[in-house]
Amino acid sequence: MIWNRLLLVGLLTLLVQQTAFAQQAASGDFLRSIGHIYVVVAVILIIFIGIVLFLIYLDRKLTKLENQINQNE
Amino acid sequence: MIRQSWWKILSVLLLVYTFVAGLLVPLKPGIAEVSPRAFKAGSEVEMTVTGYNSMYSKAKNNLNAWLKLSGENAEDERVLKASSIQVVNDRTLKLAFKLPEYLPSDSKDDVCSLILDSPVDGAIVLPEGIALTQDSVNFKEGMDLWSVDKITHLNVNSGLTFPYRSVLYETIRNQYFHVPLWFAMLFLFLFSVGFSVRYLRTFDADADHRTLALNRAGFAFGILGLVTGAIWAKYTWGAYWSWDVKQNMTAVALLIYAAYFILRGAFQDEEKKARLSAVYNIFAFAALIPLIFVIPRLTDSLHPGNGGNPAFGKEDLDNTMRMVFYPAGIGWTLLGFWIAAIAYRIEKLQSKLLDA
Repeated sequence: MIWNRLLLVGLLTLLVQQTAFAQQAASGDFLRSIGHIYVVVAVILIIFIGIVLFLIYLDRKLTKLENQINQNE
Repeated sequence: MIRQSWWKILSVLLLVYTFVAGLLVPLKPGIAEVSPRAFKAGSEVEMTVTGYNSMYSKAKNNLNAWLKLSGENAEDERVLKASSIQVVNDRTLKLAFKLPEYLPSDSKDDVCSLILDSPVDGAIVLPEGIALTQDSVNFKEGMDLWSVDKITHLNVNSGLTFPYRSVLYETIRNQYFHVPLWFAMLFLFLFSVGFSVRYLRTFDADADHRTLALNRAGFAFGILGLVTGAIWAKYTWGAYWSWDVKQNMTAVALLIYAAYFILRGAFQDEEKKARLSAVYNIFAFAALIPLIFVIPRLTDSLHPGNGGNPAFGKEDLDNTMRMVFYPAGIGWTLLGFWIAAIAYRIEKLQSKLLDA
């Protein structure tokens, strides 16, 4: 369970770091290059991160329930 | 398994289609830039045209270009054909025009459109994009010097493309990612109201769990819609937050929904919690609709489909885009219900554990 969560968090930080790096590398106008296509990439990335965050939230709730069930037994 | 989860499979298929078609279909060829954009009558002028997604080399000898001055009446329309067209590369074109002494215009300066016709890219119009000036006005002479011919037999781009629009450019694809989030949010909140009403009629705790789960998923989609909208706004309106009425009212509506979760946390007694939050949820939805659909239409807004700004219409949402947009709307909405269904099952398990 904990490994699952660590994997998700690791994946997330990697993604955020990469976008930050990419933006830095092209001095601000990176998102405007090639017909502003990277604006679409940023939007998709945000939706992905949002859904992953929701998954983490559900994951934590389930872990709590599992612990409760284990204690009851 | 398949009989129960067909809609989950459908949502995945529709979203895969949305990503593939929404990202791979190219934009229609367009004119990205013309320089210079102002000319004086009575000289031979040259302009450099920069194309977007254009294939000038492929159509080397079949290119045509015109300047078009549309007068007040339809019969006052005059055109001037390019005297030479030089293809530099696929994206660069040099056009030359022999501008006569007088313009078919009754003022010293006027704006004309540039029309570029190619059998490969189709016809492209740069409306009112070029400024012309003349030293003295001679309307009648100008009308005779420019051609009265109507431009006919323009080529049509028959390929599968999305519209090329200045300001938007490739971000027109956000139509398949930002807009469906709001569709999904609305349907989730609508169903949640339905279950709130059911709760108040039956006092069945199950309806309360469904409301809570639907609101959680709907709220998450709303936040994502707001954030993706802000990013899109940065590159089209110029700022992440323009204090635009649509942005403000949506933020207010989401705050009202945030208060729903806070309200739930304020009660220890499960029944009291469920009853009050069901009533609150109905009021929240009643506030949401005027906040995001009515008020932004009453005043000026930068957002398409609101005051002083038409919705994405024929030019921005053509039939090719509809082929992706509608499946995207259904796909994202089903995904929202899938997420809500998982949240509901967790909620149900929790209440069963508490009862045991």
